Amino acid sequence: MPKLAAFRSNSVIYFNGDVADKVYVLQSGRVSLNYTDIENGKDIHEVIERGEFFGVKSSLGHYPREENAVVLQDASVLAFTVPEFEQFASSNTRIILKMLKVFSNQLRRIHGQVENLMENQTSVNPENGLFRAGEYYLRNRLYSQARYVFGRYLTYYPAGRMAEQAGRFLEAAETALTRYGDGKGPAPLAGSQAGRPDTEPQAATAPRPQAQAALTDVAKDYYNAVSLFSQGKHQDALKEFKRIMDASGDDGEYGPKAAFDLGRCLYALSQWDATIRHFTGIIQSTPRHPDMADILFMMGQAWEKKGDNERAAGFYKKVLSMPGDEDSSARIKARKAMNAMGGA
Amino acid sequence: MSDLSGFSRFARTYQPGELIFAEYEPGDSFYLIQAGRVRITKIVGDIEKNIDILQPPEIFGEMAILEGAPRSANAIALDTVKVLEFNRANFEILMMGNPQIALRLLRLFAKRIYDQKRRFMILTLEDPQAKIADVFLMLDETRAPMNQGAAELDGDKREFKVTVDDVAHWAGMNLNDVQTILGHFSNQRRVELYQDRIVVKNINDFIRFVNSKRKK
Repeated sequence: MPKLAAFRSNSVIYFNGDVADKVYVLQSGRVSLNYTDIENGKDIHEVIERGEFFGVKSSLGHYPREENAVVLQDASVLAFTVPEFEQFASSNTRIILKMLKVFSNQLRRIHGQVENLMENQTSVNPENGLFRAGEYYLRNRLYSQARYVFGRYLTYYPAGRMAEQAGRFLEAAETALTRYGDGKGPAPLAGSQAGRPDTEPQAATAPRPQAQAALTDVAKDYYNAVSLFSQGKHQDALKEFKRIMDASGDDGEYGPKAAFDLGRCLYALSQWDATIRHFTGIIQSTPRHPDMADILFMMGQAWEKKGDNERAAGFYKKVLSMPGDEDSSARIKARKAMNAMGGA
Repeated sequence: MSDLSGFSRFARTYQPGELIFAEYEPGDSFYLIQAGRVRITKIVGDIEKNIDILQPPEIFGEMAILEGAPRSANAIALDTVKVLEFNRANFEILMMGNPQIALRLLRLFAKRIYDQKRRFMILTLEDPQAKIADVFLMLDETRAPMNQGAAELDGDKREFKVTVDDVAHWAGMNLNDVQTILGHFSNQRRVELYQDRIVVKNINDFIRFVNSKRKK
């Protein structure tokens, strides 16, 4: 049971640096928390309101008090041990939520201050950072990780500076994963940032799948269309993809890719029925299409747009039940979509 | 662990080796581990460093509450991992129904705030040598997972499983400067430098040194 304690004016409930083992609620009187602002060195006096908790953070975090709790006017406080407080809070979840909000604001603030100070030395542009993480995984033949990271890169930075390269690395990772499996085969991305010689002798001589090869004309056309798409020129992109698709058919690398992207264009143009028709066509004609998970996901999206959540969920479930695609962006997107529908 | 059967729609499963999220990826969700272990790593140059290994019922990715902040590490399933995934939108539902999780998050935030304040204290020291000494004090105080428990050797001697890179990161300084200063400390026989660890010969010496440089 929490204990009621009385404190005289000018007494101190706890000192900065004390071991923190109690959480307090002010019942009556006045208490001030006095401390020095770590940012500007100013003395801060934070007056506690009646009914307010104090001493929570240090008690829960098991670190020393960071302020003096000084009694301004004769005060009575309810003192909880940490287990008592936790038990009390468990049946008053609103209180925890309120504290979580206060704490998360404080965390945001202090995090921002730390970041500010760090900025000059170590901040890495997140786009570059993500791309480099992908390169690391590819170099170390962790293909499924590389595939995840480049997939994410393209999700967040479809028109990013390294989007084209990311697309090629994504393919290289997928190819290597299918062909060799994680940790095996020649590294699709040889060399290392630190200039460490690769231990795999064949890595240096093996041809690198697509990654570094000169782009063929059809590849150039394809990436041009991808670029149009990422610029939001969906109608133009659609025409280009159609042309590539007609020229390449289902064979080769770029025909099926263009077919998939054409569907994305239709979707981007809000042509739900046409999207569904188009993707249904691919599912029937090319059941082993490399982008099948994404195709199924897009089908789900189109059905959702048409207001048919049941069918949409059916497609998302298909995405989630597909083998070997555990960390694909389609899976993640499908999960999120299911989630959103569930939460709606 | 509290009853979470009502939260199955937030449940996700990851296979061993699968990335749950990658560093620098924008984060909008955080995770509660229900089964399996999760490896937290950072890629430093050509090495993927283990920062922590988490298990049920730990929470990770909680910094997602910092809007738009990129992930600071990779989270990789070590076993078949079952998690509950939460974001701002469904956070409140979970917390209202599960005070135990809310409390765990509250404790985690309390610790994070303290950790960040402690880092802030390092970064605001003006003397670069003091900054570096203070990094070791911080590691010694918090026994951060980074150093898997700063091993207490005899008396005032401490061993930290950290590299010069780590120290540079915590001190917010560039690698060369940190190398120079650590070399200097090593010449003074205040530290011993190894490939994978750094030994501080007398932690109290560092405490006195940092205190003398900290403005009161």
